[in-house]
Formats: sequence, C-alpha cells, structure tokens
Amino acid sequence: MNTKLNLLLGAAAVAVLTGCVSKTAYVDPNSSRLVTTTEGINIQDFSQAADAMTASLIDNFINPGLLQSGEPGQPALLAISRIQNNTGQQLDTDMLVKKMRVALLQTGKVQTSTTIAYGGPEDPLAAEQQKAQEFFEDKQHTRLPDYTLSGKIIEDRTSAGRTKQTSYIFQLSLSSRAGIGVWEDERTIVKQGKRASVGF
Amino acid sequence: MKTTSLTLLALGAAILLAAAGCRSTAVNTVEPASPTAPREMISDKRVLTDQTLNNIVRIVGLNAAMGDEGFLKVQVEVENRTRRARSFTYQVEWFDEHGMIIDSPIRVARPRTIEAREVLLITATAPTPRAKDFRIKFLEPTTE
Repeated sequence: MNTKLNLLLGAAAVAVLTGCVSKTAYVDPNSSRLVTTTEGINIQDFSQAADAMTASLIDNFINPGLLQSGEPGQPALLAISRIQNNTGQQLDTDMLVKKMRVALLQTGKVQTSTTIAYGGPEDPLAAEQQKAQEFFEDKQHTRLPDYTLSGKIIEDRTSAGRTKQTSYIFQLSLSSRAGIGVWEDERTIVKQGKRASVGF
Repeated sequence: MKTTSLTLLALGAAILLAAAGCRSTAVNTVEPASPTAPREMISDKRVLTDQTLNNIVRIVGLNAAMGDEGFLKVQVEVENRTRRARSFTYQVEWFDEHGMIIDSPIRVARPRTIEAREVLLITATAPTPRAKDFRIKFLEPTTE
C-alpha cells in the first residue's frame, strides 16, 4: 500500500516539476512569431519600417537612376544626420538606421561615411587616421557626403473602451549637398490590442 | 412561463451578437474597362498546404518589372474570398542568378489586413540588382 502511495506521490512530483520548467526557445527574428505589444516599439516594428523605407528609397530614387555620386564610377556617399526620437520611450535609432545602412550598402549603389556624422564621427579611430594621413601627405582625403539622411520617430496613443491603439510614425528625408530634400517618406505602424500578445 | 421568456431573451441576444459579429465589410471596386497600362503577367508555381489560408489570400496573378538600375519589382494580386476581414503575413525571399538566397537585414514577415472580398496588390522590390528570382510565402497570423 505504502509503495503504491510513494509511486503516486513520485509521479505527481515529476508532473509538477515538468509543468514548472520554463519554455524558452530561439525565435527567428524575421518570423511573425515575435512578441508584439502596444506598450512600445518592438524590434519587428523597426524591421518593418526599415524594410518599407529602403524599398521606397530604391523604388523612387535609386531604381529610376536619380542617385548621383560625386566620384564618377563610385557608389554615392551617405552621411547620417539627426534622427530625432519624439516618442515617450528611450530607444536607439540605430535599430532603424543600421538596418537601412546595411541594406543600402548591399545594393552596391550607396556607401555610408563613418567619419562624418551628426554628433561626431561614428568611428573616431577612422577619423583620426584620416586626419593623420591628410597631415603626412599634405593632401585632403575627406570626401564630402553626396547625401545626408535625417528623420524623426513620432508616437501617438489613443484608446476606445478596452482597445488600446499605438501608432509610430517614421519620417525620413534624404538631402542633397545643396540642402534639397530629394527623397522623403513617412511610414506609420499601427498596433491595437487589449493585452500583450505574441505575433502580428 | 418565466423559463420560456428567459430562453427567448437569451436566444434573441445570441442572434444579435452573431449578427454583429458577422457584419459584412465586403469591398466594392471600380476601374477602367480597358487599362492603359496593362500588366505583364507571368506564370507562377504555387505550393498550397493550407486551404483556409488559400481562401483568405487567393493568388489572382503575378507580374514583375525591371527598373533602369536593375532592381526587380514584383506585384502579387490576392483576393480574400471569405466574408470577413482577415489578417495574414507574407515574406519575400530573393535569389541570385545561381538560385542562392540573398540574405538581408530587412527580410521580414510583413503583416497585412484584407477586407472581405477585397482584391489587394502586394508589391516588393529586390534589395539588390543581383536578385533575379523570388518566392513569396503567405502565413496566417500567429497571435496567441
């Protein structure tokens, strides 16, 4: 009798312990199985915005042959200007910009300057090296950017009953050396929900 | 008697709720009978493993065009054959001239909503002029 009771207790304990094991798994960051919340910008929101913006830039500016490079035969040079965060959250705008930079570099039509950027060089060592080379060779090596990219991320929150709606507006502008906006776009990501959920 | 009234009330409420839930959001459209810019449709190969999803996003046609700088642009026409607005996600994969997949940081699953009976155009631009082929995957939303 006691043996049976012990067996049952053991089985119950194993079942409880198995149930308590937290399930953690790797998820493909490009899939639709990521946690989506209305409380903030999720990584897939940045990916979607970067995707839409890059596609728009290729469609409306690069593919029609409007992109011009200061160095014939070389890709156009892009510098990153101010990307303003006008949301109520602390976020790194590189989550948007870096994806776009990588995608634009992969087109073979655009390169990004790491020594000329808003707020100082992104790569201080490269900037120092450039200055040293210019000093020793007594020759200007700095290539001025052909275009600069600036933008803003705006947040809007509203609710009706138990439904919460959060919108994130991504605005980007590409300016030429003459300070003219040669490409601009705005993408809005709207999320509605009553509670945190997984997926889109 | 009291029980019958209550049952009737409950039934009426249930019918009202069902009617509200089934409210049609079907889409009416208009376009020129003879389009001035006809699309160059291309033949496609489809692998359908989910009939429910195939009713939500039934592929009507596929056309592609190449820009001056060599970026391929594709457009898929899909139709929601159900009587409800539905959500779905899609993902585009690009392949180079050797049939190898081109990896990109912006290759993401994109969510879309389609109204009942609506015909929707989905467009995608190749991330590089190296992209010569493509494949589009459609999935049901995974909200839990």
